Amino acid sequence: MSEKGRSRRLPLWLFWSLVTIVMWGTWGLVSKIASDGVDAYTNQLLFTVGIAPLLVFVAWKVSRDTAGEKREWRGRGVFWAFLTGILGGVGNMAYFQAMVKGGKASVVTPVTALFPMVTVLLALVFLKERLGRLQWAGLGLAFVAIYLLNA
Amino acid sequence: MAWLGFAILALVLWGITGVTQKLSTNRISSERSFLWFCWAMVALSAVVVLAARPHWGLDATVVVCSVAGGALNGLGAWTSFRALESGGKASIVISLISLFPLLTVVLAVVLLHERLTWMQLAGAVVAIAAAILLSLEPAPAKAGV
Repeated sequence: MSEKGRSRRLPLWLFWSLVTIVMWGTWGLVSKIASDGVDAYTNQLLFTVGIAPLLVFVAWKVSRDTAGEKREWRGRGVFWAFLTGILGGVGNMAYFQAMVKGGKASVVTPVTALFPMVTVLLALVFLKERLGRLQWAGLGLAFVAIYLLNA
Repeated sequence: MAWLGFAILALVLWGITGVTQKLSTNRISSERSFLWFCWAMVALSAVVVLAARPHWGLDATVVVCSVAGGALNGLGAWTSFRALESGGKASIVISLISLFPLLTVVLAVVLLHERLTWMQLAGAVVAIAAAILLSLEPAPAKAGV
């Protein structure tokens, strides 16, 4: 089906959002299957093999389009992106290890999906962002969820 | 309950990436940021190869699932950018995407035959609701107010 044909029935943003849910939702499943037969370090290594084709594609795209960036800001931007990757990768290993240690995919994934609670708290303290009432409610619910999932 | 400690460690580290990612994309494009995110994964893998002595001779299913995991995670990040670039409001797109653990729960129960207690099921539902609420940024304050 062409994108034009699809957009008549389903907005493109909704289509890509649903594809994202399928991708990340399935990641939780395959991570658990893999974690039953491999340690967290090797899992992270193979994870990187899986992401490599996308790295090549994005590198090609980035090499073609550098508009809209201030060159003097690039170094710091790259530094933060690299740090994001390191923290994300170590986070992945902790996620895999949680499953290796017997955590169920159906419990570990909802717990780790609460990571925005840390982001909003850090943004509140370090980026001086303000939280809305719904975000405060979300923060409270996040603690309730961890209690229930741990019960 | 050792798994919970590791799950919370993942939660904290991924939570910090929410800030570092923003600090990055405030300065460079999301694509360049994603590129360097991937290079960091490669660097981390090099450290794993040298320091952690990864296991070889694995079952084919394990290898396929691990590699597929990386591809699914990376493609999911890319499609989430596409959703935002396709005109979706960030508050709606990110809230909707936050539903992804629901699919994991369903797949794990159906395909892996995992069984949840009522408390855990309630916890999973509350966790997903919390993730959606946390993604709802307040509207910017009006000028002069």
